[in-house]
Amino acid sequence: MKIAVMQFPGTNCEFETLVAVKAVDMEGEIFRWNRSAGELSDFDGFVIPGGFSYQDRIRAGVIASKEPVMSALKEEADKGKPILGICNGFQILVESGLLPGRSISCDKESEKGSNMGVGSGSNKASSNVDMALAQNVMISKGKIVRRGYYCDWVNLRHESPSKRCSGSFAIERGALLKIPIAHGEGNLVTTTPGLIKKLNDDQQVIFRYCDKNGRIINEFPFNVNGSTESIAAICNEQGNVLGMMPHPERAFFAWQLPAFDPRKQRADEAGPGRRVFESMKRYIEVNA
Amino acid sequence: MKIIGLSDPEVEVSLRAAGIGMSVPEARTIAGVLGRDPTLTELFCYDAMWSEHCSYKSSRSTLREFLPTDGPNVVMGPVEDSGIVAIDDKWCVVISHESHNHPSQVLPNEGAATGIGGIVRDVNCMGATVVATADPLRFGNPYGPKANKVRWVAEGVVDGIWQYGNALGVPNMGGDIVFNDSFDDNCLVNVVSIGIVRRDQIIRSRAPPLAGEKGYDIILIGKPTDSSGLGGVTFASEALREEDEETNRGAVQIPDPFLKNVLFKANDDLFKLVREAGVEIGFKDLGGGGFTCATSEMGSAGGFGMEINLDDMHKAADFPAEVLSIAETQERFLIISPPELREKILKIYNEDWDLPNVYEGARASVVGKINTGDRFRVSYKGEMACDVPIKHLTEGIRYNRLELPRTIKVSEPDFAEPADYNDVLLKILRSPNIASREHVYRYYDTEVMGNTVIRPGEADAGLIAPVRGEMFGVALAVDSNPFYGRLSPYWGGATAAAEAMRNVAAIGAVPSTLTDCLNYGNPEKPEAFWEFREGVKGLAESCKNLYLKGFEDQQQPVPIVSGNVSFYNESPDGSVDPSPVVACVGIMKDISKAITMDLKKAGDKLFLIGPRFDELGGSEYYQTILGVTGANVPIVRFDLERNMIYAVIDAIDEGILAAAHDISNGGLAASLCEMALVRPARFGFDVDLAGEGVQGSEGGMRTDKILFSESSGFVLEAKAGSEARLIELLKKYDLEPMQIGTVTGKRRIVISRSGESVADLDLDEARNAWMSGLVEAMR
Amino acid sequence: MSPNRKINLRVWLKIPDAEAATVKNTLVRRLGYKNILADVKKERLFSIEIDSGDPEELAKSFAKELVNENKESYKALIDELLFEDEYVPVKVALHIEDGEAISVRERLRSRLGFGNVVDVKKATIWKLYFDTLRPEAEVAAREIAERLLINPHKDSYEILSRPII
Repeated sequence: MKIAVMQFPGTNCEFETLVAVKAVDMEGEIFRWNRSAGELSDFDGFVIPGGFSYQDRIRAGVIASKEPVMSALKEEADKGKPILGICNGFQILVESGLLPGRSISCDKESEKGSNMGVGSGSNKASSNVDMALAQNVMISKGKIVRRGYYCDWVNLRHESPSKRCSGSFAIERGALLKIPIAHGEGNLVTTTPGLIKKLNDDQQVIFRYCDKNGRIINEFPFNVNGSTESIAAICNEQGNVLGMMPHPERAFFAWQLPAFDPRKQRADEAGPGRRVFESMKRYIEVNA
Repeated sequence: MKIIGLSDPEVEVSLRAAGIGMSVPEARTIAGVLGRDPTLTELFCYDAMWSEHCSYKSSRSTLREFLPTDGPNVVMGPVEDSGIVAIDDKWCVVISHESHNHPSQVLPNEGAATGIGGIVRDVNCMGATVVATADPLRFGNPYGPKANKVRWVAEGVVDGIWQYGNALGVPNMGGDIVFNDSFDDNCLVNVVSIGIVRRDQIIRSRAPPLAGEKGYDIILIGKPTDSSGLGGVTFASEALREEDEETNRGAVQIPDPFLKNVLFKANDDLFKLVREAGVEIGFKDLGGGGFTCATSEMGSAGGFGMEINLDDMHKAADFPAEVLSIAETQERFLIISPPELREKILKIYNEDWDLPNVYEGARASVVGKINTGDRFRVSYKGEMACDVPIKHLTEGIRYNRLELPRTIKVSEPDFAEPADYNDVLLKILRSPNIASREHVYRYYDTEVMGNTVIRPGEADAGLIAPVRGEMFGVALAVDSNPFYGRLSPYWGGATAAAEAMRNVAAIGAVPSTLTDCLNYGNPEKPEAFWEFREGVKGLAESCKNLYLKGFEDQQQPVPIVSGNVSFYNESPDGSVDPSPVVACVGIMKDISKAITMDLKKAGDKLFLIGPRFDELGGSEYYQTILGVTGANVPIVRFDLERNMIYAVIDAIDEGILAAAHDISNGGLAASLCEMALVRPARFGFDVDLAGEGVQGSEGGMRTDKILFSESSGFVLEAKAGSEARLIELLKKYDLEPMQIGTVTGKRRIVISRSGESVADLDLDEARNAWMSGLVEAMR
Repeated sequence: MSPNRKINLRVWLKIPDAEAATVKNTLVRRLGYKNILADVKKERLFSIEIDSGDPEELAKSFAKELVNENKESYKALIDELLFEDEYVPVKVALHIEDGEAISVRERLRSRLGFGNVVDVKKATIWKLYFDTLRPEAEVAAREIAERLLINPHKDSYEILSRPII
């Protein structure tokens, strides 16, 4: 079982992500963006780790999404192989149209975004992009109380049943995970009509931000970035591609938890983020 | 440029016209050594190399005179870009500490970002993996007459720090922030970085043995050289005037964390290549003094000369030789390596990591060769631009500056005890210098790399576990109180060192080394130079008297392995408060034993160690409540301080403490409140000040002085059942154990004296004040 | 009562713009515009609406706050927005709530006391230089905007070809 941890210029979480991959007994290696894309087919799964690919220029993830290696990754996704995009990885998956996935964009093809110009029609690479991860806005009682980059530990509620999605394959519905976020653009927005409803109906919403008891409160500090319906992670329709803003690799060991978490003192214990990597492994085992 | 035969005023005129800052006698010395008129490039090279920043011409003799730089754990003292101390037989910590004050005042965002960019290069070039940074920041008064500018600077600096550091992917361990009106026109942006390296994999910043005989290559890598940053070194050595900000623009460098991120990974491949080939290379970052500084210092350190051709340098445009020689273009490194590795090295940077497509014009280029001569020779476009004795260039000059004690007029205030302590407490908690730093820390990626054990705000020091599979952790804390420095430059230095060590001890780590960034005014002014010398003396006294734990029987000082001097921190209104900013690295043998400051359990007993003294000079209480600075600055009682630090480390190692927090700004009251207010903020406390030591060294101290005296000490939460053992341990260290109260489950802050109520505050009300103080100051 | 005036501040970097360089590199190497695209530059645009005061004077005050002349230059245009001829200006702005624009407005109003500021809008102007003639260049500019410069779920764009009032 071999995992490629993708590396773009500016990626900065590939090493700890590789540690997490290996710690659940999968093989893994870092795959540099300018390696021959054909080599990707040798791998059983992929992680696009966090960081600032191309320094988030224009907007997070968009330039990496134009790299040839991403087209190859789409083909691997079509084969049903699992892809986990974390933070910037999620942003890249959104910008390359892998999330929420193509099936919706087909439905939408007839519609035009209100601002889409005449264009040539033949070359609308962004027309399969169905959502955006926009700049964070922290809203409380109707007012913007903060904006921009934010790093903190958040509580996540697992929204889908287990086995729905590769990266939460072994996690039961309703499970609470404490995992850190660190991003400036994680605010899920969309103008695609019906997209949010479809994501909900098809159980493609995998994690939502919540309070420590699992209640969804659509306000800062619980909703940390203004994301629609407190969505923190979604998968594609098939369930093999998962994108999440929080960083499971940074909550892999109990000692990484914040000071006030009682589990911290039990240093040998697994942290909540480990379950995401275990899920990916289980998904590959089941689908092999 | 003609110097020989011209009068002093004539030389002065032509130097200034060319934009060269050196003095006329300096120029004459150079002409004398060369035996001819120097070229323009030569003068620029000397100007950069003999600047305060590169040569430490005013400070070096003082630093040598006082500071302890060696010790049983020192692997490399302050000779290269970073110092190195051993963690164990295999692993070492690399640390460097710099300032980026002047550029940050002008371009806060780029200035602060470049500060991080430069410091991480210093650490990386030793062959190390950079694992943390921290930023000690000093800003002006956010409520003073220059509030708008102060807030603009503060906001820009914080943005620059997170935008660079987060993108680079190195966790920020916080640092500290102090507001004070002496920084209104001259902020301080210091930056500390630490790295991890295996002892057998350290790379030196010098031409390796036989480099001259074998004609080693000089390879420049990174961003194409441009004119940005030209004169940055001399810029840092001149006082800042507002009207000069525009003309100073050229001094500010443009950082690029994206390119740096890729460069670091390419450097890792370089290190691997070198290890596999079994050869030694020289590796150095380009910082102050640019290309000339990096090349000449590496050659000189190896005892070689060199021949450089600037035609082979990759550059952003066709700049003249003097610009290419000393421009401070960011994101560049220099390699000195054997010719047989040349193609492999070029491939790493130009193809594997594709630098030319990562940043326009970036690459690796071979620009010259090392030889066995003793000259620093640079040619460009068929002409010899520079041909000077390399040692003469790199050894710089020394000045013995005059010192004159500054007359500091101070007095202790005469005032009545406050009637409403609740109100006083809330005001102190809301003060921008006491309030929670969380507002700023949330911009910093404290989690990247996945090594973070204790993050900023959770305790007095941050802690990371940088090597998977090893139990050890590396702790980092920074400190300096400008208000103390204003009252007594000597005690300002001594307390900074003591508090940094205390901070590290408060989580259970053993102070292993210190670094200093000495921020002072113009050293040509005898009073400013006196302040500098006093600060260094105070710093040194703390190091020498708070011995390295584990070697205390040998009375080994805690070594200072790296540092920086930043002079000319002044505006026409005067110089900044003397600010010897100290960082302390601590080693934690077992990260699972580390503790934080938050109260853990209702019913646990709270202990105070460190008696209170009537020394509130420079205290938060005097300033916030009375609006005065006072006179009695807190001093370091070395034996007491050492015993407290050691006792706390031992107690944490034994596992008998649940929480610990040192006493500093805001005194005992602020320390207690912070332990209750920091997340998760679940518990209150009930404390009585009746105990003997609590009431001051002479007994019967006034309640406000007990609560707000900033005499050094700790507040400890003992684990239930461990109280007797703690008392025993404290007594072993000749410390008076003072049990002052209890952690309570009710959400109230309760302080009384001999049973009489002093303060009784709702925890949430207090937390609101504490959480909002910094937000309001930076709004 | 006089109508509201609009101050447009065009702000650009004097130092190298790495973002513009990356955009150009991506368009040339990844999206096939090698033969027609000559260069890419970028500006920030602040459009500040005021209900009173001397717009010329206010423009100077606002620039002092929003422009750092150590790294940037600017041009203030009152009630108009003009661009040079040699490139196609593509204006990209958020169509969702722009937190940064709101915070600029609040800063001008509360911290700096400009009570006459009614609204602040912020945009990026991508200046696309083509080796091809205008009509074809505009088609390419539209394509570039949609393929790279915007995500339609948060951004909108406009090709600004003639003076905009």
